[in-house]
Amino acid sequence: MSDATPAVQRPAPHGSRDSAFFWEGCRRGVLMGQRCADCGAWRHPPRPMCPHCQSVEREEVELSGRATLYSWAKPVHPPLPMFEPGYLIALVDLEEGQRMLSNLCDVSPEAIEIGMPLEVFFVETAEGGAVHQFRPRQAS
Amino acid sequence: MASNGIRDRVAIVGMGCTAFGEHWDKSTADMLVESAGDAYRSAQVDPEQVDAYWLGTMGSGLSGLVLSEALKIQYKPVTHVENFCATGSEALRNACYAVACGAYDLVMAIGVEKLKDSGFSGLVVGSPAHDGARADITAPAIFSMLVPAYCKKYGVDEETLKDVISRIAWKNHANGAKNPKAQFRNEVPLEMIKASPSIAGMLGLFDCSGVADGSAAAIVCRAEDAHKYTDTPLFVKALSFVAGPSEGNKRQDYDFTTFTEVVASAEDAYKQAGITNPREEISMAEVHDCFTPTELVLLEDLGFSARGEGWKDVLDGRFDLDGPQPINPDGGLKSFGHPIGASGLRMMYEMWLQFRGEAGERQLAAPKLGLTHNLGGGPGSCVSFVSVVGK
Ligand SMILES: [Zn+2]
Repeated sequence: MSDATPAVQRPAPHGSRDSAFFWEGCRRGVLMGQRCADCGAWRHPPRPMCPHCQSVEREEVELSGRATLYSWAKPVHPPLPMFEPGYLIALVDLEEGQRMLSNLCDVSPEAIEIGMPLEVFFVETAEGGAVHQFRPRQAS
Repeated sequence: MASNGIRDRVAIVGMGCTAFGEHWDKSTADMLVESAGDAYRSAQVDPEQVDAYWLGTMGSGLSGLVLSEALKIQYKPVTHVENFCATGSEALRNACYAVACGAYDLVMAIGVEKLKDSGFSGLVVGSPAHDGARADITAPAIFSMLVPAYCKKYGVDEETLKDVISRIAWKNHANGAKNPKAQFRNEVPLEMIKASPSIAGMLGLFDCSGVADGSAAAIVCRAEDAHKYTDTPLFVKALSFVAGPSEGNKRQDYDFTTFTEVVASAEDAYKQAGITNPREEISMAEVHDCFTPTELVLLEDLGFSARGEGWKDVLDGRFDLDGPQPINPDGGLKSFGHPIGASGLRMMYEMWLQFRGEAGERQLAAPKLGLTHNLGGGPGSCVSFVSVVGK
Protein backbone atom coordinates (compact mmCIF):
# COMPACT_ATOMS: atom_id res chain seq x y z
CA MET A 1 0.00 0.00 0.00
CA SER A 2 1.35 3.37 -0.97
CA ASP A 3 0.80 6.41 1.25
CA ALA A 4 0.05 8.63 -1.70
CA THR A 5 -3.61 9.47 -2.28
CA PRO A 6 -4.42 8.14 -5.71
CA ALA A 7 -5.17 10.92 -8.16
CA VAL A 8 -8.64 11.01 -9.65
CA GLN A 9 -8.27 9.34 -12.99
CA ARG A 10 -10.69 8.86 -15.83
CA PRO A 11 -11.56 5.28 -16.66
CA ALA A 12 -10.22 4.18 -20.01
CA PRO A 13 -12.64 4.40 -22.95
CA HIS A 14 -14.06 0.97 -23.74
CA GLY A 15 -13.56 1.29 -27.47
CA SER A 16 -14.95 -1.01 -30.09
CA ARG A 17 -13.99 -1.94 -33.64
CA ASP A 18 -16.07 0.98 -34.87
CA SER A 19 -14.44 3.58 -32.65
CA ALA A 20 -10.93 2.12 -32.39
CA PHE A 21 -9.52 4.71 -34.85
CA PHE A 22 -10.97 7.54 -32.73
CA TRP A 23 -9.40 6.38 -29.46
CA GLU A 24 -6.18 5.46 -31.21
CA GLY A 25 -6.14 9.05 -32.52
CA CYS A 26 -6.54 10.35 -28.97
CA ARG A 27 -3.52 8.33 -27.89
CA ARG A 28 -1.53 9.84 -30.80
CA GLY A 29 -2.77 13.32 -29.96
CA VAL A 30 -4.97 13.71 -33.03
CA LEU A 31 -8.73 14.33 -33.06
CA MET A 32 -10.31 12.04 -35.63
CA GLY A 33 -13.67 12.27 -37.33
CA GLN A 34 -15.74 9.78 -39.30
CA ARG A 35 -17.37 10.79 -42.55
CA CYS A 36 -19.58 8.96 -45.03
CA ALA A 37 -17.50 8.28 -48.13
CA ASP A 38 -20.59 8.52 -50.34
CA CYS A 39 -22.64 11.50 -49.13
CA GLY A 40 -19.98 13.19 -47.01
CA ALA A 41 -22.08 13.49 -43.82
CA TRP A 42 -20.06 13.56 -40.59
CA ARG A 43 -21.11 11.20 -37.84
CA HIS A 44 -20.15 10.80 -34.22
CA PRO A 45 -19.99 8.50 -32.37
CA PRO A 46 -18.49 6.31 -35.08
CA ARG A 47 -20.75 3.60 -36.48
CA PRO A 48 -20.73 1.33 -39.49
CA MET A 49 -23.57 2.76 -41.59
CA CYS A 50 -24.51 6.27 -42.69
CA PRO A 51 -27.92 7.28 -41.20
CA HIS A 52 -28.59 9.50 -44.21
CA CYS A 53 -27.75 7.32 -47.23
CA GLN A 54 -27.21 3.85 -45.71
CA SER A 55 -23.76 3.60 -47.22
CA VAL A 56 -21.21 1.53 -45.34
CA GLU A 57 -18.33 3.24 -47.14
CA ARG A 58 -16.60 5.49 -44.63
CA GLU A 59 -13.56 7.67 -44.16
CA GLU A 60 -11.53 8.36 -41.05
CA VAL A 61 -10.32 11.93 -41.25
CA GLU A 62 -7.85 13.92 -39.16
CA LEU A 63 -9.61 17.03 -37.84
CA SER A 64 -7.91 20.34 -37.16
CA GLY A 65 -8.78 20.24 -33.47
CA ARG A 66 -9.79 23.90 -33.71
CA ALA A 67 -13.22 24.82 -32.36
CA THR A 68 -15.23 27.62 -30.82
CA LEU A 69 -17.12 27.46 -27.54
CA TYR A 70 -20.88 27.15 -28.09
CA SER A 71 -22.01 26.67 -24.48
CA TRP A 72 -20.67 25.46 -21.16
CA ALA A 73 -21.74 24.58 -17.65
CA LYS A 74 -20.20 23.72 -14.32
CA PRO A 75 -21.96 20.65 -12.93
CA VAL A 76 -21.83 20.54 -9.14
CA HIS A 77 -24.24 17.81 -8.13
CA PRO A 78 -24.25 14.85 -8.23
CA PRO A 79 -20.49 14.45 -7.82
CA LEU A 80 -19.03 11.84 -10.14
CA PRO A 81 -16.13 9.78 -8.79
CA MET A 82 -14.10 9.93 -12.01
CA PHE A 83 -14.06 13.73 -12.19
CA GLU A 84 -12.25 16.26 -10.00
CA PRO A 85 -14.89 18.61 -8.51
CA GLY A 86 -15.01 21.90 -10.39
CA TYR A 87 -14.77 20.35 -13.84
CA LEU A 88 -16.47 22.15 -16.69
CA ILE A 89 -18.41 20.67 -19.56
CA ALA A 90 -18.48 22.32 -22.94
CA LEU A 91 -20.33 22.09 -26.21
CA VAL A 92 -17.80 22.98 -28.86
CA ASP A 93 -18.38 23.73 -32.51
CA LEU A 94 -15.61 22.15 -34.55
CA GLU A 95 -14.08 23.98 -37.47
CA GLU A 96 -15.27 21.19 -39.78
CA GLY A 97 -18.93 21.83 -38.87
CA GLN A 98 -19.80 19.25 -36.21
CA ARG A 99 -20.69 19.93 -32.59
CA MET A 100 -19.12 17.87 -29.82
CA LEU A 101 -19.57 17.47 -26.07
CA SER A 102 -16.32 17.59 -24.11
CA ASN A 103 -14.63 19.25 -21.14
CA LEU A 104 -13.28 22.78 -20.98
CA CYS A 105 -9.94 23.07 -19.20
CA ASP A 106 -7.20 25.58 -18.32
CA VAL A 107 -9.58 28.52 -17.93
CA SER A 108 -11.36 30.04 -14.96
CA PRO A 109 -15.13 30.38 -15.26
CA GLU A 110 -14.81 34.18 -15.05
CA ALA A 111 -12.63 34.26 -18.15
CA ILE A 112 -14.92 32.13 -20.32
CA GLU A 113 -16.60 33.80 -23.26
CA ILE A 114 -19.11 32.17 -25.57
CA GLY A 115 -17.55 31.90 -29.01
CA MET A 116 -13.99 31.92 -27.71
CA PRO A 117 -11.50 29.99 -29.86
CA LEU A 118 -10.56 26.59 -28.46
CA GLU A 119 -8.12 23.86 -29.30
CA VAL A 120 -8.15 20.17 -28.56
CA PHE A 121 -5.65 18.49 -26.27
CA PHE A 122 -5.57 15.06 -24.72
CA VAL A 123 -5.33 13.69 -21.20
CA GLU A 124 -4.29 10.24 -20.14
CA THR A 125 -6.82 7.91 -18.60
CA ALA A 126 -6.38 4.73 -16.61
CA GLU A 127 -4.89 1.80 -18.50
CA GLY A 128 -2.92 3.99 -20.91
CA GLY A 129 -5.90 5.43 -22.75
CA ALA A 130 -6.47 9.06 -23.67
CA VAL A 131 -9.50 11.32 -24.04
CA HIS A 132 -9.99 14.59 -25.87
CA GLN A 133 -10.41 17.87 -23.97
CA PHE A 134 -10.57 21.50 -25.06
CA ARG A 135 -8.76 24.64 -23.80
CA PRO A 136 -8.47 28.25 -24.97
CA ARG A 137 -6.57 28.34 -28.24
CA GLN A 138 -3.02 29.64 -28.02
CA ALA A 139 -2.29 32.51 -30.39
CA SER A 140 -0.28 31.08 -33.26
CA MET B 1 -47.66 12.43 -42.72
CA ALA B 2 -51.06 11.54 -41.38
CA SER B 3 -51.83 12.04 -37.72
CA ASN B 4 -55.59 11.78 -37.62
CA GLY B 5 -56.14 11.72 -33.90
CA ILE B 6 -59.11 10.33 -31.98
CA ARG B 7 -60.84 13.55 -30.93
CA ASP B 8 -63.74 12.86 -28.55
CA ARG B 9 -63.72 9.13 -29.27
CA VAL B 10 -62.46 7.99 -25.86
CA ALA B 11 -62.89 9.22 -22.31
CA ILE B 12 -61.18 8.82 -18.97
CA VAL B 13 -63.78 7.60 -16.49
CA GLY B 14 -61.70 6.90 -13.39
CA MET B 15 -58.32 7.85 -11.98
CA GLY B 16 -56.13 7.16 -9.00
CA CYS B 17 -52.86 8.60 -7.78
CA THR B 18 -50.69 7.87 -4.76
CA ALA B 19 -49.00 10.61 -2.81
CA PHE B 20 -45.57 11.19 -4.38
CA GLY B 21 -42.50 11.25 -2.19
CA GLU B 22 -40.13 9.05 -0.25
CA HIS B 23 -42.04 5.81 0.19
CA TRP B 24 -39.42 3.76 2.01
CA ASP B 25 -42.27 1.67 3.42
CA LYS B 26 -43.85 0.77 0.06
CA SER B 27 -42.74 -1.43 -2.81
CA THR B 28 -43.45 -0.89 -6.49
CA ALA B 29 -46.26 -3.46 -6.17
CA ASP B 30 -47.75 -1.68 -3.16
CA MET B 31 -47.93 1.59 -5.08
CA LEU B 32 -49.48 -0.11 -8.13
CA VAL B 33 -52.14 -1.72 -5.93
CA GLU B 34 -52.92 1.64 -4.36
CA SER B 35 -53.28 3.70 -7.56
CA ALA B 36 -55.10 0.92 -9.45
CA GLY B 37 -57.47 0.39 -6.52
CA ASP B 38 -58.25 4.11 -6.39
CA ALA B 39 -58.88 4.10 -10.15
CA TYR B 40 -61.24 1.08 -9.98
CA ARG B 41 -63.20 2.74 -7.18
CA SER B 42 -63.22 6.08 -8.99
CA ALA B 43 -64.79 4.47 -12.09
CA GLN B 44 -66.93 2.19 -9.91
CA VAL B 45 -65.77 -0.91 -11.78
CA ASP B 46 -64.58 -4.33 -10.66
CA PRO B 47 -61.11 -5.37 -11.77
CA GLU B 48 -62.78 -8.17 -13.80
CA GLN B 49 -64.38 -5.53 -16.06
CA VAL B 50 -61.05 -4.15 -17.26
CA ASP B 51 -60.06 -5.86 -20.51
CA ALA B 52 -56.41 -4.83 -20.92
CA TYR B 53 -53.63 -2.87 -19.23
CA TRP B 54 -50.74 -0.60 -20.24
CA LEU B 55 -48.00 -0.32 -17.64
CA GLY B 56 -45.48 2.52 -17.84
CA THR B 57 -42.23 2.22 -15.91
CA MET B 58 -38.72 3.16 -16.95
CA GLY B 59 -36.68 1.34 -14.36
CA SER B 60 -38.87 -0.34 -11.77
CA GLY B 61 -39.24 -3.63 -13.58
CA LEU B 62 -39.56 -5.32 -16.92
CA SER B 63 -42.56 -6.83 -18.69
CA GLY B 64 -46.28 -6.86 -17.95
CA LEU B 65 -45.63 -9.21 -15.06
CA VAL B 66 -44.68 -6.22 -12.88
CA LEU B 67 -48.36 -5.27 -12.95
CA SER B 68 -50.09 -8.62 -13.34
CA GLU B 69 -48.22 -10.04 -10.36
CA ALA B 70 -48.96 -6.97 -8.22
CA LEU B 71 -52.70 -6.88 -9.07
CA LYS B 72 -53.10 -10.64 -9.59
CA ILE B 73 -54.48 -9.98 -13.06
CA GLN B 74 -56.01 -13.14 -14.46
CA TYR B 75 -54.72 -13.89 -17.96
CA LYS B 76 -55.26 -10.52 -19.61
CA PRO B 77 -53.03 -8.48 -21.89
CA VAL B 78 -50.56 -6.25 -20.02
CA THR B 79 -48.24 -4.17 -22.18
CA HIS B 80 -45.12 -2.66 -20.68
CA VAL B 81 -44.17 0.66 -22.31
CA GLU B 82 -41.15 2.88 -21.78
CA ASN B 83 -40.37 6.30 -23.26
CA PHE B 84 -38.03 8.01 -20.77
CA CYS B 85 -39.74 10.57 -18.54
CA ALA B 86 -42.80 10.56 -20.84
CA THR B 87 -43.43 6.89 -20.07
CA GLY B 88 -46.72 7.45 -18.21
CA SER B 89 -48.15 9.51 -21.06
CA GLU B 90 -47.10 6.84 -23.54
CA ALA B 91 -49.00 4.21 -21.52
CA LEU B 92 -52.11 6.39 -21.65
CA ARG B 93 -51.77 7.11 -25.36
CA ASN B 94 -51.57 3.45 -26.30
CA ALA B 95 -54.43 2.51 -23.97
CA CYS B 96 -56.62 5.19 -25.59
CA TYR B 97 -55.83 3.95 -29.09
CA ALA B 98 -56.68 0.37 -28.16
CA VAL B 99 -60.12 1.51 -27.03
CA ALA B 100 -60.63 3.85 -29.99
CA CYS B 101 -59.97 1.05 -32.48
CA GLY B 102 -62.57 -1.15 -30.81
CA ALA B 103 -60.24 -3.90 -29.67
CA TYR B 104 -61.26 -3.44 -26.02
CA ASP B 105 -64.13 -1.79 -24.14
CA LEU B 106 -62.45 -0.79 -20.90
CA VAL B 107 -58.70 -0.49 -20.25
CA MET B 108 -56.28 0.85 -17.68
CA ALA B 109 -53.13 2.90 -18.15
CA ILE B 110 -50.93 2.88 -15.06
CA GLY B 111 -47.50 4.30 -14.36
CA VAL B 112 -45.10 3.68 -11.51
CA GLU B 113 -41.55 4.41 -10.47
CA LYS B 114 -39.51 3.63 -7.38
CA LEU B 115 -36.48 5.94 -7.38
CA LYS B 116 -35.61 6.82 -3.82
CA ASP B 117 -33.94 3.57 -2.89
CA SER B 118 -31.99 3.15 -6.14
CA GLY B 119 -28.78 4.07 -4.28
CA PHE B 120 -28.02 7.12 -6.44
CA SER B 121 -29.17 10.72 -6.22
CA GLY B 122 -31.12 11.91 -9.23
CA LEU B 123 -32.66 10.22 -12.22
CA VAL B 124 -30.54 7.38 -13.46
CA VAL B 125 -30.98 6.06 -16.95
CA GLY B 126 -29.67 2.57 -17.50
CA SER B 127 -28.60 3.15 -21.08
CA PRO B 128 -27.46 0.18 -23.08
CA ALA B 129 -23.71 -0.15 -23.04
CA HIS B 130 -21.93 1.77 -25.76
CA ASP B 131 -18.29 2.09 -26.64
CA GLY B 132 -17.65 5.33 -24.78
CA ALA B 133 -17.37 7.54 -27.87
CA ARG B 134 -20.77 9.03 -27.11
CA ALA B 135 -20.20 11.50 -24.28
CA ASP B 136 -22.85 11.68 -21.56
CA ILE B 137 -23.81 14.63 -19.41
CA THR B 138 -25.89 15.03 -16.26
CA ALA B 139 -29.48 16.18 -16.74
CA PRO B 140 -29.07 19.44 -14.77
CA ALA B 141 -25.95 20.32 -16.78
CA ILE B 142 -27.56 19.93 -20.19
CA PHE B 143 -30.78 21.69 -19.13
CA SER B 144 -28.73 24.52 -17.57
CA MET B 145 -27.60 25.41 -21.08
CA LEU B 146 -31.10 26.72 -21.84
CA VAL B 147 -30.39 29.74 -19.61
CA PRO B 148 -27.42 31.42 -21.33
CA ALA B 149 -28.90 30.55 -24.74
CA TYR B 150 -32.21 32.24 -23.91
CA CYS B 151 -30.45 35.28 -22.44
CA LYS B 152 -28.30 35.71 -25.50
CA LYS B 153 -31.05 35.23 -28.08
CA TYR B 154 -33.54 37.60 -26.49
CA GLY B 155 -31.17 40.10 -24.89
CA VAL B 156 -32.23 39.31 -21.31
CA ASP B 157 -29.52 39.73 -18.67
CA GLU B 158 -28.75 36.71 -16.52
CA GLU B 159 -29.82 38.43 -13.31
CA THR B 160 -33.30 39.04 -14.74
CA LEU B 161 -33.53 35.48 -16.00
CA LYS B 162 -32.56 34.19 -12.56
CA ASP B 163 -35.58 36.16 -11.25
CA VAL B 164 -37.75 34.53 -13.92
CA ILE B 165 -36.76 30.94 -13.21
CA SER B 166 -36.88 31.54 -9.46
CA ARG B 167 -40.43 32.81 -9.86
CA ILE B 168 -41.36 29.60 -11.69
CA ALA B 169 -40.01 27.58 -8.76
CA TRP B 170 -41.82 29.87 -6.32
CA LYS B 171 -45.12 29.44 -8.20
CA ASN B 172 -44.87 25.67 -8.42
CA HIS B 173 -43.99 25.40 -4.74
CA ALA B 174 -46.93 27.66 -3.86
CA ASN B 175 -49.25 25.41 -5.91
CA GLY B 176 -47.77 22.24 -4.41
CA ALA B 177 -48.34 23.63 -0.93
CA LYS B 178 -52.07 23.38 -1.71
CA ASN B 179 -51.79 19.75 -2.84
CA PRO B 180 -52.08 17.00 -0.23
CA LYS B 181 -50.43 14.47 -2.58
CA ALA B 182 -47.36 16.57 -3.47
CA GLN B 183 -43.84 15.63 -2.38
CA PHE B 184 -43.01 19.18 -1.25
CA ARG B 185 -45.96 20.92 0.35
CA ASN B 186 -44.37 24.12 1.48
CA GLU B 187 -44.17 27.58 0.02
CA VAL B 188 -40.57 28.70 -0.42
CA PRO B 189 -39.61 32.39 -0.27
CA LEU B 190 -38.15 33.80 -3.48
CA GLU B 191 -34.98 34.90 -1.71
CA MET B 192 -34.34 31.37 -0.47
CA ILE B 193 -34.87 29.99 -3.98
CA LYS B 194 -32.42 32.49 -5.45
CA ALA B 195 -29.83 31.80 -2.78
CA SER B 196 -29.94 28.00 -3.04
CA PRO B 197 -26.67 26.17 -3.81
CA SER B 198 -25.71 25.50 -7.42
CA ILE B 199 -26.49 22.14 -8.97
CA ALA B 200 -25.21 22.97 -12.46
CA GLY B 201 -24.59 26.28 -14.19
CA MET B 202 -27.23 28.79 -13.09
CA LEU B 203 -29.54 26.08 -11.79
CA GLY B 204 -29.82 26.05 -8.02
CA LEU B 205 -31.32 23.35 -5.84
CA PHE B 206 -34.81 24.85 -6.14
CA ASP B 207 -34.63 24.91 -9.94
CA CYS B 208 -34.69 21.08 -10.00
CA SER B 209 -37.72 18.82 -9.73
CA GLY B 210 -38.27 16.41 -6.89
CA VAL B 211 -37.07 12.83 -7.18
CA ALA B 212 -39.91 10.73 -5.86
CA ASP B 213 -41.65 7.36 -5.68
CA GLY B 214 -45.24 7.14 -6.83
CA SER B 215 -47.90 5.70 -9.10
CA ALA B 216 -50.93 6.99 -11.01
CA ALA B 217 -53.62 5.22 -13.05
CA ALA B 218 -56.46 5.99 -15.47
CA ILE B 219 -59.40 3.92 -16.72
CA VAL B 220 -60.43 4.59 -20.30
CA CYS B 221 -63.51 3.63 -22.34
CA ARG B 222 -65.20 4.65 -25.58
CA ALA B 223 -66.84 8.09 -25.41
CA GLU B 224 -70.36 6.73 -25.95
CA ASP B 225 -69.98 4.45 -22.91
CA ALA B 226 -68.48 7.07 -20.63
CA HIS B 227 -71.66 8.05 -18.81
CA LYS B 228 -72.20 4.45 -17.73
CA TYR B 229 -69.30 4.98 -15.34
CA THR B 230 -69.43 8.64 -14.32
CA ASP B 231 -71.42 11.83 -14.78
CA THR B 232 -68.25 13.79 -15.41
CA PRO B 233 -65.95 11.94 -17.82
CA LEU B 234 -62.83 13.59 -19.22
CA PHE B 235 -62.80 13.44 -23.01
CA VAL B 236 -59.58 13.07 -24.97
CA LYS B 237 -59.26 15.73 -27.69
CA ALA B 238 -55.70 15.03 -28.82
CA LEU B 239 -52.72 12.78 -28.15
CA SER B 240 -49.42 13.45 -29.88
CA PHE B 241 -46.05 11.83 -29.44
CA VAL B 242 -42.84 12.49 -31.36
CA ALA B 243 -39.23 11.33 -31.08
CA GLY B 244 -36.55 13.58 -32.57
CA PRO B 245 -33.42 12.61 -34.52
CA SER B 246 -31.25 13.35 -31.46
CA GLU B 247 -28.86 15.65 -33.28
CA GLY B 248 -28.98 18.73 -31.08
CA ASN B 249 -25.67 18.02 -29.38
CA LYS B 250 -24.03 17.29 -32.70
CA ARG B 251 -25.31 20.00 -35.03
CA GLN B 252 -24.27 23.61 -34.97
CA ASP B 253 -27.70 24.92 -36.00
CA TYR B 254 -29.45 23.94 -32.76
CA ASP B 255 -29.59 26.92 -30.39
CA PHE B 256 -30.95 25.59 -27.03
CA THR B 257 -33.88 28.03 -26.86
CA THR B 258 -36.48 25.52 -28.03
CA PHE B 259 -37.32 21.84 -27.97
CA THR B 260 -38.03 21.18 -31.64
CA GLU B 261 -39.75 17.93 -30.62
CA VAL B 262 -42.19 19.86 -28.42
CA VAL B 263 -43.01 22.28 -31.21
CA ALA B 264 -43.78 19.34 -33.52
CA SER B 265 -45.95 17.48 -31.00
CA ALA B 266 -47.83 20.66 -30.01
CA GLU B 267 -48.57 21.46 -33.63
CA ASP B 268 -49.85 17.92 -34.17
CA ALA B 269 -51.98 17.97 -31.00
CA TYR B 270 -53.50 21.36 -31.79
CA LYS B 271 -54.41 20.17 -35.26
CA GLN B 272 -56.07 17.05 -33.84
CA ALA B 273 -58.03 19.14 -31.32
CA GLY B 274 -58.86 21.99 -33.69
CA ILE B 275 -56.99 24.58 -31.63
CA THR B 276 -55.67 27.65 -33.42
CA ASN B 277 -54.80 29.94 -30.51
CA PRO B 278 -53.44 27.95 -27.56
CA ARG B 279 -52.72 31.09 -25.53
CA GLU B 280 -56.44 31.85 -25.44
CA GLU B 281 -58.04 28.43 -25.86
CA ILE B 282 -56.11 26.35 -23.30
CA SER B 283 -57.48 27.10 -19.83
CA MET B 284 -54.71 25.38 -17.87
CA ALA B 285 -51.75 23.09 -18.46
CA GLU B 286 -49.46 20.67 -16.72
CA VAL B 287 -46.05 20.98 -18.37
CA HIS B 288 -42.78 19.11 -17.88
CA ASP B 289 -40.96 21.45 -15.47
CA CYS B 290 -38.05 19.08 -14.77
CA PHE B 291 -35.93 22.22 -14.34
CA THR B 292 -37.29 25.76 -14.14
CA PRO B 293 -35.83 26.97 -17.48
CA THR B 294 -37.52 23.97 -19.13
CA GLU B 295 -40.89 25.40 -18.13
CA LEU B 296 -39.92 28.82 -19.54
CA VAL B 297 -38.96 27.36 -22.92
CA LEU B 298 -42.05 25.10 -22.97
CA LEU B 299 -44.34 28.10 -22.52
CA GLU B 300 -43.07 29.39 -25.85
CA ASP B 301 -42.85 26.00 -27.59
CA LEU B 302 -46.47 25.27 -26.65
CA GLY B 303 -47.61 28.67 -27.93
CA PHE B 304 -48.70 30.06 -24.54
CA SER B 305 -46.23 32.93 -24.96
CA ALA B 306 -44.76 34.53 -28.06
CA ARG B 307 -41.08 33.77 -28.77
CA GLY B 308 -38.88 35.79 -26.47
CA GLU B 309 -41.86 36.96 -24.41
CA GLY B 310 -42.33 34.04 -22.01
CA TRP B 311 -40.05 35.56 -19.37
CA LYS B 312 -42.22 38.70 -19.21
CA ASP B 313 -45.43 36.66 -18.94
CA VAL B 314 -43.89 34.71 -16.04
CA LEU B 315 -42.97 37.91 -14.17
CA ASP B 316 -46.44 39.35 -14.90
CA GLY B 317 -48.05 36.36 -13.14
CA ARG B 318 -49.85 35.12 -16.25
CA PHE B 319 -49.20 31.49 -15.26
CA ASP B 320 -49.93 31.76 -11.53
CA LEU B 321 -52.83 29.83 -10.02
CA ASP B 322 -54.90 33.03 -10.03
CA GLY B 323 -53.60 34.21 -13.42
CA PRO B 324 -55.32 33.93 -16.79
CA GLN B 325 -53.57 30.67 -17.79
CA PRO B 326 -52.43 28.62 -14.78
CA ILE B 327 -49.46 26.33 -15.47
CA ASN B 328 -48.77 23.37 -13.20
CA PRO B 329 -51.65 24.06 -10.82
CA ASP B 330 -50.81 20.85 -8.93
CA GLY B 331 -47.22 21.93 -8.25
CA GLY B 332 -45.66 20.24 -11.29
CA LEU B 333 -42.62 17.99 -11.27
CA LYS B 334 -40.96 20.69 -9.16
CA SER B 335 -43.14 20.15 -6.14
CA PHE B 336 -45.41 17.16 -6.81
CA GLY B 337 -42.26 15.11 -7.52
CA HIS B 338 -41.16 13.09 -10.52
CA PRO B 339 -41.51 9.30 -10.31
CA ILE B 340 -40.72 8.89 -13.99
CA GLY B 341 -43.26 6.32 -15.19
CA ALA B 342 -46.06 7.89 -13.14
CA SER B 343 -45.55 11.58 -14.00
CA GLY B 344 -47.51 11.71 -17.25
CA LEU B 345 -50.54 10.14 -15.58
CA ARG B 346 -50.10 12.41 -12.54
CA MET B 347 -50.43 15.39 -14.92
CA MET B 348 -53.65 13.90 -16.26
CA TYR B 349 -54.84 13.32 -12.68
CA GLU B 350 -54.82 17.09 -12.13
CA MET B 351 -56.92 17.55 -15.29
CA TRP B 352 -59.31 14.91 -13.94
CA LEU B 353 -59.68 16.72 -10.61
CA GLN B 354 -59.96 20.19 -12.12
CA PHE B 355 -62.64 19.27 -14.66
CA ARG B 356 -64.68 17.50 -11.98
CA GLY B 357 -64.38 20.35 -9.51
CA GLU B 358 -62.42 18.16 -7.07
CA ALA B 359 -59.16 20.11 -6.93
CA GLY B 360 -59.83 21.62 -3.51
CA GLU B 361 -57.84 24.75 -2.74
CA ARG B 362 -56.39 24.67 -6.26
CA GLN B 363 -59.75 24.57 -8.03
CA LEU B 364 -59.91 26.78 -11.12
CA ALA B 365 -63.11 28.38 -12.33
CA ALA B 366 -64.76 26.61 -15.29
CA PRO B 367 -61.79 25.28 -17.29
CA LYS B 368 -62.67 24.63 -20.95
CA LEU B 369 -59.63 22.80 -22.31
CA GLY B 370 -56.63 21.42 -20.47
CA LEU B 371 -53.23 20.36 -21.78
CA THR B 372 -50.57 18.01 -20.48
CA HIS B 373 -47.03 18.09 -21.78
CA ASN B 374 -44.49 15.40 -20.95
CA LEU B 375 -40.84 15.41 -22.08
CA GLY B 376 -38.29 12.59 -22.10
CA GLY B 377 -34.59 13.31 -22.66
CA GLY B 378 -33.04 16.76 -22.84
CA PRO B 379 -32.43 19.73 -25.11
CA GLY B 380 -31.38 18.49 -28.53
CA SER B 381 -32.33 14.89 -27.88
CA CYS B 382 -35.79 14.09 -26.60
CA VAL B 383 -39.25 12.64 -27.01
CA SER B 384 -42.30 14.83 -26.43
CA PHE B 385 -45.95 14.14 -25.62
CA VAL B 386 -48.84 16.61 -25.75
CA SER B 387 -52.44 15.87 -24.87
CA VAL B 388 -55.51 18.06 -24.94
CA VAL B 389 -58.51 17.08 -22.81
CA GLY B 390 -61.82 18.60 -21.83
CA LYS B 391 -65.50 18.07 -21.20
ZN1 LIG C 1 -24.04 8.92 -46.44
